[in-house]
Formats: sequence, structure tokens, C-alpha cells
Amino acid sequence: MSDTQWPRFMVFQQVVAGEPLVHNGTVHAPDLEMSLLNGRDVFLRRPAAHALWVVPVECILTKTIEELQDGSWLTGVKEAGGPMARYHVFGKLHHQGQLEQIGMVEAAGPEQALKTAMSEQQGRTVWVWWVFPVSSVLASDEDDIDSLFRFAESHDFKNQAYYPVITMMRQIRARGKR
Amino acid sequence: METRLNAGLAEYLIALGDDELILSHRDSEWCGHAPILEEDIAFANLAVDELGHARLWYELAAELLDEDKERFPDHLAYFRDASEWRNVQLVSLPNGDWAFSVLRRYLFDVLEVERLRGLKQSSYKPLAEAAAKIYNEELYHVRHGRAWLPRLGLGTEESHRRMQTALNDLWPFTPQLFQALPGESELSGVVPTTPGLEAEWRTKVVADLASANLNPPEKSNPMNRPRTQQTEHMMDLLSESQMVARANVEARW
Repeated sequence: MSDTQWPRFMVFQQVVAGEPLVHNGTVHAPDLEMSLLNGRDVFLRRPAAHALWVVPVECILTKTIEELQDGSWLTGVKEAGGPMARYHVFGKLHHQGQLEQIGMVEAAGPEQALKTAMSEQQGRTVWVWWVFPVSSVLASDEDDIDSLFRFAESHDFKNQAYYPVITMMRQIRARGKR
Repeated sequence: METRLNAGLAEYLIALGDDELILSHRDSEWCGHAPILEEDIAFANLAVDELGHARLWYELAAELLDEDKERFPDHLAYFRDASEWRNVQLVSLPNGDWAFSVLRRYLFDVLEVERLRGLKQSSYKPLAEAAAKIYNEELYHVRHGRAWLPRLGLGTEESHRRMQTALNDLWPFTPQLFQALPGESELSGVVPTTPGLEAEWRTKVVADLASANLNPPEKSNPMNRPRTQQTEHMMDLLSESQMVARANVEARW
């Protein structure tokens, strides 16, 4: 049986205007436009956000620190002619952390873009690299911020005491253990 | 405001809340059953939004009637029989397939946005403020529903057939959406007239449907009953949504 799943899209979130975007996770969607809605529904209904990006998974070139370790990948990257395009560069800078936006480069292809990014970021430990063309991104519209993200005015839902049944069950269990 | 106006506006708000709460219940029934995880979560979000809207309308009604803001919404939700509800029949119809549920939401949400646009201008400040908050959420609801129309309507032969069938089944229930709500005749300047929303709704809906190759049925028998009449499905719905609250009246949630 063939795979009936929809294609995958990476979801990125910008909490405050001007800050780097961070990777949120993945959603399935029939197309890019729907993936923006799904990304919002899965990751961003409650937390505040300024912007949301979605990118088709197949548009992202990824390399891990292990894959790049012996330098053979880097030496294999050829100089390429052809039209230049802009690429977003994301990196995982901490062992336990999300990928975050670390720059933008202009290059003739994704491999050349990563090579350029690596030389620009020299000295920095990047555990995982992602590069993708700026043109592959669908970003939420500034005009839609209110309807997309501005829902949680109170954060009661994060407070356990907000759910008396949970609190009550915990007390009952604690009583049982005594 | 005078007492008579208060009572009329409370009736109006309870009817709005009833629409939201019953639709919220139907949408929540998809939880764990939607065709794909992402849509399952999306529908649960929509259901929770509508639940919040119902609560806002009921709380406003409580204030007008000098009732307790905490208890009154619970009383309305859990301790009224089917004959006391004032929602439109469209929202209580069983979910059917995914096409039916998506299209039902869309038809209803387009009207809600139009109504909220008017309510935001209400001379009664608390109502205008609540409407402004709900309006932003409903813009997203319509966006979600409208996004699905062409994807299902122009998708596969099966998805188109299911959407057209759903439209044929839902269309007869749409005239009831434009009846004046309970209390509305006394509320000029406070709320927009509901019959006045129909033209704008029809223009938008027919255009969106057409771009998804969907056509309202030429002949249909309108089910234009007063809001005091509920479908037989309301009994089943309420027996489920009210069961726990009624089984233990003293319970605190």
C-alpha cells in the first residue's frame, strides 16, 4: 500500500518582531497554504507569536556536525554558476535546543549556500545546519496577527489549580498513599 | 438601560450563545476521529473557541438579568430541556461526514463574522467589546473553512461529490439563520438586524462555493422553523452533554 500521508512542512515561530525565528516542529498538510493554518493550530493557538513560517521539508538541506566532521562533504561542494538566490540559514547551537535562525546568505545553490554559511559562522559550534531558499517560505501576514495568535490573554490554563478536578484527583491519590 | 430592554437583549444573547454552544459540542465530537491529526487538533481548537464565545454571551446575559456570572452559564448549558434552547437547527444536525461538518461550520461562520461586524458597533459597550474579541477569532474560523472549500470541492471526484451532497443537505436549513432573533425587534441600535445580514452572506457564500465548483441546489424545501422548535437530534445531544452535570447536581468543576 502506498503512503497516504500528506507531505510534511517545517514550522517556525517568531515570538517577538525582530528576534530570530525558531523551529517549532512538523505538520502534515495537503499544500503550503494549509500547512500555515495547521502549523498555527498545532503549535501556536495559545502562546503569543509575531510570525509563523512554513517550509516544505524537501526544500531544506540539512547537515549534522557528524556528517561534516571529516571535511569530505565540504571539499566535494563544487563552485556553481547560474543565478544567485537568497537562503535562510538555521542552526542548532545547543545540544538540547531548537534550531534557530542564524543568518542569510546569497548563493547559486543550497550546497554553496551552506558552504558560505559555514565559513561565515566559523568558530561557532553548530550541531545541525539547515538551509533553504527564501522563496520556499510562506510567512504569516502582519495583518493577520490578531486573528492568528492573540488569543491567550490570561495564562490560567497553565496553572494546575485552574483544573479543580485534576487537583481533586491528586488529593484523593495522595490520601490513598498515606 | 430599561428593564424591558435588558430582558430582550438577554434573550438575544442567550440565542447567540446557544448557537455557539451546540456547534461547539458537534465539533468536539470530531475529537479523536478527524481524518488527520492536524485537522483533529484544528477542529478541537474551533470547538474550544466556540465554547468560550458561548460563555461570553451567557455571562453578558447574566449581568443584564442580575444573575450570578459563574452559575448562570452552567444553568443554561446543563439544566435546560431541548424545548428551552434557541439555537438554529443547522448547528444541532449530526456531524455526518467531514465534508458536512466543514461546510456547516463555513456557512455558519460567514454569518457570524457579518453579525459581529455589526455588534462591534453596538451602543451597549460590554457587547461591543465582547464582539471585538470574538470577531478576531471568527476571522480565523472563516479562513479555515474557506481554505477547505476548493480543496474538497475541486479535489477528487469523491470529495466533490461529498461536498455537493453536504451542500444539498445543509442548504434548506440556511433560511432560518436570517430570522430575527428573540428580543431583536426591541434592540435597534444595539444589535444589527439579522434579516439585514442575508444579502452580504449570500454574495460571499455563493462566490466562494462557485470557485469550488459547488452550487446551491435549485430546488430545496426550506426548513425555516422558529428558533423555539428544535430537531429531534437535540434530545440525543443534550442527553450526552448534560448527563454528568445532572447526575451530580452538587459537583464542582
